[in-house]
Amino acid sequence: MTVIKLALAAAVLGTAAHPTPKVVLVKHADFIRQTLATARQYFVRTVSIGKQDLAAIRQTSDFTPADPDVQFFLGQGEGGATVGVVLFEQVDTPHGPIEVGLTFGPNGAVAHAMVTTATVETKPWVREAVASGLMDKFVGMRQGDDPRKTLQGLDGKLGGMPEYMAELIATAVGRGLVLYATLYKESAS
Amino acid sequence: MGLYSLRHAHRSVKLGALLYLLVLGYAYVFAFLMVKTWSGLTPARVEATYLPTPGMEEMQMQMQSHATTQPLDLGQVPEMEHTVDTDQLIQDSHIHIMIYAIVAALLTLIILGLDWPAWWRDTVIVGAFGFGALDFAGQWLMKFGLGGFAWLTILSGWGMSLVYLIVLYSTIRALLPGRSAGSTP
Repeated sequence: MTVIKLALAAAVLGTAAHPTPKVVLVKHADFIRQTLATARQYFVRTVSIGKQDLAAIRQTSDFTPADPDVQFFLGQGEGGATVGVVLFEQVDTPHGPIEVGLTFGPNGAVAHAMVTTATVETKPWVREAVASGLMDKFVGMRQGDDPRKTLQGLDGKLGGMPEYMAELIATAVGRGLVLYATLYKESAS
Repeated sequence: MGLYSLRHAHRSVKLGALLYLLVLGYAYVFAFLMVKTWSGLTPARVEATYLPTPGMEEMQMQMQSHATTQPLDLGQVPEMEHTVDTDQLIQDSHIHIMIYAIVAALLTLIILGLDWPAWWRDTVIVGAFGFGALDFAGQWLMKFGLGGFAWLTILSGWGMSLVYLIVLYSTIRALLPGRSAGSTP
């Protein structure tokens, strides 16, 4: 009987590969709701990148988007005016993906920046990087600004891996700035 | 005739073997939950986790970008899909394949004392090492674009579980008093 019980208990075993698990720090819906607090209705705009814009993205930065479709989440206020646009930008690392949520205000500048997803492994490093005040330094940036300048004040304040995470976060913000400036058109249907 | 007999081994050897298997099963339960949560148990979900994203196919792209806008229900906003890219798979492989080998080697130490026929003993030992290797072989084949090998990863996982259950069952039988030795499960 003992044998059977133990066998049954172990019979729930399944596949064995262990993917590095992601950790959702802030849900997409919560980030959109919190950073577009005055919005009354929300829209998702999916932009399929064309050759011209792809060339512009490559010329402006040194990356090619992994996905040919980029999603922007729009919030509109009472009168139908756009109160902000949210974009989630992901960077892959050997320790798993990191995702940064960016909210752009009506003036086209970053209004909010937050790490929305990390992994079990990177979460403590990301938390340490964020605790240094890194994310606030991205506020007000727009295309042409260099997000890596925010790293200058961190020299010596962070350990090796948190500093690496800060660099990756700045990379994600930089890519987000380029994607927003290149692909988001207020008048697009 | 085994290389040693677990049934007639010192009590501490029996205790160590049993506790190792029970704690390994304890770990496997969480391994199952982890895989279920982050990778999935169906071929489609496993494939989606490991298969590379299609990426940019510039030849098929239009010259101008094209946008479509739709109303959004915040309750339906999808989270980032969990995927394993090549760098992550290298990292997972370098540690997991080694751990699989260590687990298989420790299982083999127990198997050697189970008084099984040689053919059955060798079969289970090959399974103990082979399923772990095939598990990651399946993941790498998917990473090379062969999504159909999700089955290999899934079956390998179940194969590792089967080897564990066989060894656990036979070990408990060998440790229980009053049972005849030398039988295959």
